[in-house]
Amino acid sequence: MQRFPPAIPLMLWILGSMVAYADEGTDFFESKVRPLLVKHCYECHSGEKTKGGLSLDSKTGWEKGGESGSAITTGEPDKSLLIAAIRYQDLEMPPSGKLPEEEIQLLETWVRMGAPDPRITPAKIGGMTAEQARSWWAFQPLPPVASDFTSNSIDRAIDAGLNEHGIPASSPADKRTWLRRATYDLTGLPPTPEEMDAFLADSSTDSANRVLERLLASPQYGVQWGRHWLDVVRYADTAGENTDRPLVHAWRYRNWVFDAFNRDMPYNQFVQMQIAGDILFANAPDTQRSEGIIATGYLAIARRFGHDIDKDIHLTYEDIIDNLGKNFVGITTGCARCHDHKYDPVTADDYYGLMGFLASTKFSFPGCEPKGQPKDMVPLLAPTEVESLMQPWKERNAIFEAEKKKRQEAADLARKSWKEQVSTATHLLAHGKIAEGASIPIATNSTQSLESIAVRKGEVLQLTVLPNDNHGADSTLVDWTIRSQNAPDQVWSTSELISDFLQSNPHPGAHGATWFLLDATDGPTPLLEKRKSNGGSEAIQSWSIGSEPSIFVNTSELPTNVWTSLSARSLFVHPGPNRTVAIAWTSPIDGMVSIEGRVADAHPAALDGVSFRLEHFASTDIGEKLLAIADEKLAPLQSPGPAPEIPVAYAVAEASPVHSKVHLRGDPEKLGAEIPRRWISVLGGDPLPENAGSGRKQLSDWIASEPIAARVMVNRVWQLHFGQGLVRTPNDFGSRGDRPSHPELLDQLAAYFVQHGYSIKSLHRLIMNTAAYQRSSEANEEAARHDPENRFLSHFNRRRLTAEEMRDSLLAVSQQLDLTPSQSHPFPPEASWTFTQHDPFNAVYDTNKRSAYLMVQRQRRHPFLALFDGADPNASTPVRQSTTVPTQALYFLNDPFFHTQATQVATALLKQPDDETRIRSLFRRSLQRDPTPSEQTRLVDFVKLYGASPEENWGAAARILLACNEFLYLD
Amino acid sequence: MLPPILTNRRSILSSIVGSTLLFPAIVEQLLADNRELGTDPLMPREPHFPAKAKRVIFLFMTGGVSHVDTFDPKPALTRDHGKEIKADHPEIKDRPGYERIFLKKPQWEFAPHGQCGMEVSTLFPHVATCVDDIALIRSMHTSHSNHYNATLGMHTGSFAQSRPSIGSWMTYGLGTINRNLPGFIVIAPKQTYAGTQVYANDFLPGAFQGTLVVPGSEPIRNVAPRTPAAKQRMELEALKAINQEHLAARPMDGSLAARVQSFETAFGMQTAVPEVFDLSGESDATLESYGLKRGQTTGFGWQCLAARRLVERGVRFVELIDTGSSGNWDAHGDMMTHEPLAKNVDQPIAALLKDLKQRGMLDDTLVVWTTEFGRTPFNNTAEAKGREHHPWAFSSWLAGAGVKPGTVYGETDEHGVRVANNGVHVHDFHATILHLMGFDHEKLTFRHSGRDYRLTDVEGNVVQAVLA
Repeated sequence: MQRFPPAIPLMLWILGSMVAYADEGTDFFESKVRPLLVKHCYECHSGEKTKGGLSLDSKTGWEKGGESGSAITTGEPDKSLLIAAIRYQDLEMPPSGKLPEEEIQLLETWVRMGAPDPRITPAKIGGMTAEQARSWWAFQPLPPVASDFTSNSIDRAIDAGLNEHGIPASSPADKRTWLRRATYDLTGLPPTPEEMDAFLADSSTDSANRVLERLLASPQYGVQWGRHWLDVVRYADTAGENTDRPLVHAWRYRNWVFDAFNRDMPYNQFVQMQIAGDILFANAPDTQRSEGIIATGYLAIARRFGHDIDKDIHLTYEDIIDNLGKNFVGITTGCARCHDHKYDPVTADDYYGLMGFLASTKFSFPGCEPKGQPKDMVPLLAPTEVESLMQPWKERNAIFEAEKKKRQEAADLARKSWKEQVSTATHLLAHGKIAEGASIPIATNSTQSLESIAVRKGEVLQLTVLPNDNHGADSTLVDWTIRSQNAPDQVWSTSELISDFLQSNPHPGAHGATWFLLDATDGPTPLLEKRKSNGGSEAIQSWSIGSEPSIFVNTSELPTNVWTSLSARSLFVHPGPNRTVAIAWTSPIDGMVSIEGRVADAHPAALDGVSFRLEHFASTDIGEKLLAIADEKLAPLQSPGPAPEIPVAYAVAEASPVHSKVHLRGDPEKLGAEIPRRWISVLGGDPLPENAGSGRKQLSDWIASEPIAARVMVNRVWQLHFGQGLVRTPNDFGSRGDRPSHPELLDQLAAYFVQHGYSIKSLHRLIMNTAAYQRSSEANEEAARHDPENRFLSHFNRRRLTAEEMRDSLLAVSQQLDLTPSQSHPFPPEASWTFTQHDPFNAVYDTNKRSAYLMVQRQRRHPFLALFDGADPNASTPVRQSTTVPTQALYFLNDPFFHTQATQVATALLKQPDDETRIRSLFRRSLQRDPTPSEQTRLVDFVKLYGASPEENWGAAARILLACNEFLYLD
Repeated sequence: MLPPILTNRRSILSSIVGSTLLFPAIVEQLLADNRELGTDPLMPREPHFPAKAKRVIFLFMTGGVSHVDTFDPKPALTRDHGKEIKADHPEIKDRPGYERIFLKKPQWEFAPHGQCGMEVSTLFPHVATCVDDIALIRSMHTSHSNHYNATLGMHTGSFAQSRPSIGSWMTYGLGTINRNLPGFIVIAPKQTYAGTQVYANDFLPGAFQGTLVVPGSEPIRNVAPRTPAAKQRMELEALKAINQEHLAARPMDGSLAARVQSFETAFGMQTAVPEVFDLSGESDATLESYGLKRGQTTGFGWQCLAARRLVERGVRFVELIDTGSSGNWDAHGDMMTHEPLAKNVDQPIAALLKDLKQRGMLDDTLVVWTTEFGRTPFNNTAEAKGREHHPWAFSSWLAGAGVKPGTVYGETDEHGVRVANNGVHVHDFHATILHLMGFDHEKLTFRHSGRDYRLTDVEGNVVQAVLA
């Protein structure tokens, strides 16, 4: 027998022992370790339960570890967090009680053995294995498009589906139905009677094509299709934070979207511009540069959250990442903020890789309650242009500032001299503490009789209300009258201030006197700010410095309940803690006056209190000094005028590039590893090159070039024509979404789209020329039985008009529709904003422009749009709902807007010569057809029997046509 | 027409089953209950299991009611008045002037009431006479200290994103009984924090949105007829005729028929709605018990009596909001403002409970009383007149169908700062309300954006101790 070289058996022995050891390890794990883990740890650390981010039900689970890091250092129990935790050294695990010593030792032994663990699971990306993710249908490259791909190709695919299921196709729709369908689909408006006549009379073979070209060329096309886009990007005109501040400049993005559709901007460019238009066109000529900036309004219009929106900026980022995923690539990404996606191949690392792009971007700031007004709008002019526009104003402003400074110096001087004079010339006439809820006469604790006080012209009587100790945010009623003893008709009273309280400060008094409303905390400072309403009541008008009213009046003839019950036609002084407030009267006469009146605590509440002082500043200069002090702030000054308006956009700009750190379980205060900015891993995970700035340009390239992006957009266009997509979950092409009903067709359409320069109009032509699009909306019996959801498109899907189409149609029929584009909304000027969470922005603006221009608020839904299933301004709306509820019917019975449109129609009808013409005209305007003879007869009878004025009779007839199903539904 | 995805649960399920081998996690989907809606989303539906409660009256006190001054007696707080404490509290963090905080005593006395001896302060003398019907939870807590977020959370279970409100979930779960009235009605004199989001259907179908009633001359928008009844009837007949002809040619379209029907309902609403809100048929004694003068059409007493009349007529969920986003319980400046606010609601709430009980309706009506958060038992001086927002602890109560009467559940610490035991988070509160209505909160779901959503998000435990 030949001898083996000695090394070989040794090697075999080593190999054998390793195998044995591995088996032993597995045995040890299975017999000793797994039962312990299951018993003590799985409750919180297995499956979807990963407390502290730790999974203990797989090898990768403990290798990856939780928030505190890897759980086991193989071979080294003393360095393993898991062992430390069960030893109760730092963490105490399990929390229900320390394990028995022998169990702890078992786990230590296991770790020392190298923690053998057979629980190896295949590599996963989020909720799919890497293999599943790679082979997922929606991520596959697009096939080459057939060279002869036309509308007929689509029909062949549709017919194949029908044949396979034995469903016959419905017959083609009539010409009227088709024109209504096509006109609404492309413009959101009904065809005019003239357009209908022309089309019905045109028997040429390309009549339909000519109509399509006319509609595609109409500027109303962009409004309709742009509005669809605004649905998915959850466009709104307010920010959505606690005060729901208006987004004054967001309209530029809205109009840009409409315009981009009208120009048939290639979709890939349309996508890129919304993510990185500012970078793409940074060096382009002006118009293109500003267009690029405006397009990034897509990012800027993201929702803002909470009180201080900077503190919740991670939610705004989530809102964008969520929308970016659903909107462009049909992947739900938002949930990866807190954990890897449970079903789709998206990881938390993917999420934070994306977040870095946003964290490297500067967003226009919409303002919020604690941080004031909007800022960081992006100018649409080059810096040099801004400068040349601003220069003349800056010069004027410099003069203005200099004059202001001069006045301030004068006022300081006057204040100093006021203090000097007052220190020697003050007579305290009366003073007193006002007990809780009490009313005391001004003559309280008077130092002399208030029946006759000698005053000289220019001297001042001042009534000051001051807080006791540190209290005193209390409303104090002041009713103060001064009478001349020389001329009985000369009377001055605080009540004379009430009717035109906000007129001015100083406020002219009777007989040449002057009243001053003052903060008297440190010498006199005139109250500067006036407010027309307080606490929600227009009756309460106030002067203040800052937000707390210092002096206010109730102008109502009735008591008003604001803060407390405020008596009718009264004046109140409201000092603050450490803050005194005064009313000063400057005498216009030399003579004797008497003083009477009362001060009262108008807001009884425990633990507070105020006092008053009545003083006589017996120096004839004092009034002048007060005026000089007031002049500083109040006298008219040659204003430099408003700064020239630099056109700006609500958009984004580059900021310093950063990478984001993972927020463990979505908590922004618990930071994990830093994730370099990159594209999501399942779509390549491309990293950024050096010096890429924020990287948004690269991000926009990645997104726009994904085959799934083309699939998603093609599916949207299909859905908006046919009522449902080939994939019926247009925002979700992942594992939880729907599978395409015609996969090859979807791929071919997407490939065609790419090949034809991403032209959306070319898709309309392709789709609208199919026989499938031209079918009647009547389902045949086989279809109803075998395909009730009409996935195979044997017939057209009847649909209700959208909220916007409905309102626009009402305005179109009443001939009140204004088809010109709208720009900004009539928001109150920014400088006047005082929105708080208690008093948020809230408005509904009427307009006869197209409904796509209605002002849409995030916190308060537009009543009409909410009633008729308008888009949700807080979330992407890929499919409009179409609910039927009785409150909608109430709209058609009683809404003033609806009645107004019907009345307008009636007025126009009455200009027609006879009832027959009127009825014909009514049908043609609203339904684009002639009435049938029986309809004609019935409506003639109706108008006769209705028995009101002609306007009302015809108004009622118009309401019937404007409320009927034929008007509201598209066959 | 509903989005196709809704009407098509069977095919969703089958596609899920088909992919189960690939994605075992999806099996859980099969447990979810996305309710079958068909073409008539408002059709009455059975809950998951039989429940006593058929309807809810949800009383929401806006602004944050101070627990230590109303339903959570804290003698130690009075004893330790002025004592400095430390708390890592969201409302005082980095807030100038709040470097130091001091305990501040309650301003109202507490006394035991009823057979059960539940302690209630003098702010709620009338509600105190109903304690034997109430299950009080003194250990409520919430996730946010802003009005907006906490109000949204109490209504939708979501503290930042807008989500369907609890009333919408309930109508989604149960449908409605009376077709002449909306299934979910909110009576509020003013808008509260988070605006219309507190009663929005959000991603649920629009049929489940809350209908706003504003006390006054036209409680529901467009419900007042603009034409005389006979003329309106003529119009409706003519409309019906033209619609019937249209429908005859399209016989298979349920949504067209539903819309024809909706006009009849709306016509009925024009009389049903004013009838509900016309209190003239109520006796003097009833009006008086609610603190109402004959002919009065505003005030919380009116809201409460209207609520009784609405649930009597089959409305599933009625929410009453006492006031708006200003002039409410948000007593930063002065706790004494709690007095008129309590006075505004106390007698009407007690009258509502007694009225329901006397009519036997408390047996199948659940009454919920809550606010968005409590108020701090401390402030930056002990003499400060107000209290700040306090998400850590507050009190809410349940009464009526399925509720264990005369119960107090949960405790705060001796000063009412933190929950001491048996904490009930807003999610738990919602889970309990859904349970009382016959729903497993984990199963009442709606598929949206590829996920099954529920009112309680991924949280929530039913508070068994308050169940009868």
